[in-house]
Amino acid sequence: MGILENIFDRKDDPTSESKPDFSNVRSGGSSTAPAAPQPTDTIGSAKTYVVVEGDSLSRIAKREYGDASKWRTLYEANKDLIKDPDLIYPGQTLKVPGA
Amino acid sequence: MHSRLFGTSILALTIVAVLSAACTKSSETPGSTGTTGTSVGVRVSQIDMGRSLTADKTINDKTDSFKPTDTIYASVATENSAATATLKARWTYQDGQVVNESTQMIAPTGDARTEFHISKPDGWPTGKYKLEVFLNGSSTITRDFAVER
Repeated sequence: MGILENIFDRKDDPTSESKPDFSNVRSGGSSTAPAAPQPTDTIGSAKTYVVVEGDSLSRIAKREYGDASKWRTLYEANKDLIKDPDLIYPGQTLKVPGA
Repeated sequence: MHSRLFGTSILALTIVAVLSAACTKSSETPGSTGTTGTSVGVRVSQIDMGRSLTADKTINDKTDSFKPTDTIYASVATENSAATATLKARWTYQDGQVVNESTQMIAPTGDARTEFHISKPDGWPTGKYKLEVFLNGSSTITRDFAVER
């Protein structure tokens, strides 16, 4: 019985390789560019804007933030709705995150 | 004859007027509401890897071969500016395991360098690894490297 136990004992089986453990990996990072403001999760009280004819993301950014170049902030916050930043439609309700 | 010529002219003018109106209506597409900003966005131009960084986030000694005790640095160069850009570094081992994944949100105002680094207190398993860098969710550049004794 002891011989059989040794045959089927897989503890010393060299062919059974365990995967490396990466659970203790540490990571970090930094950038020469300024950090972007983190998006907030206040969806319930988030400001929104309904697109009207003649609007564009840069025009809405100019109105909301005073800076037309912040159009990408609007685009990033509404990527699920806006497939093409050059095409927005009257009636779309866009989230307007804080600047 | 004059009346016929006059009638023909009126007909021609009417046709031109109708065609002009049709062209105007067909150009009024409901979705197109104007330009939204610059057409050139942020892009990843280069990735370097090494064992240490300089003060400006560039790699001090570039290499793609590391020792188990090394801290592994990746310096990602980006061009152009944006209100916000999300850079993600995904490190994977040869068996497909994700070693680490980290994200940085930056607001570049021109050329910039963003560094990611990883370390392992008990040493890296030897073998082949891969670093994949994503910009705003899209994969950009992939770099292969190895850990050797």
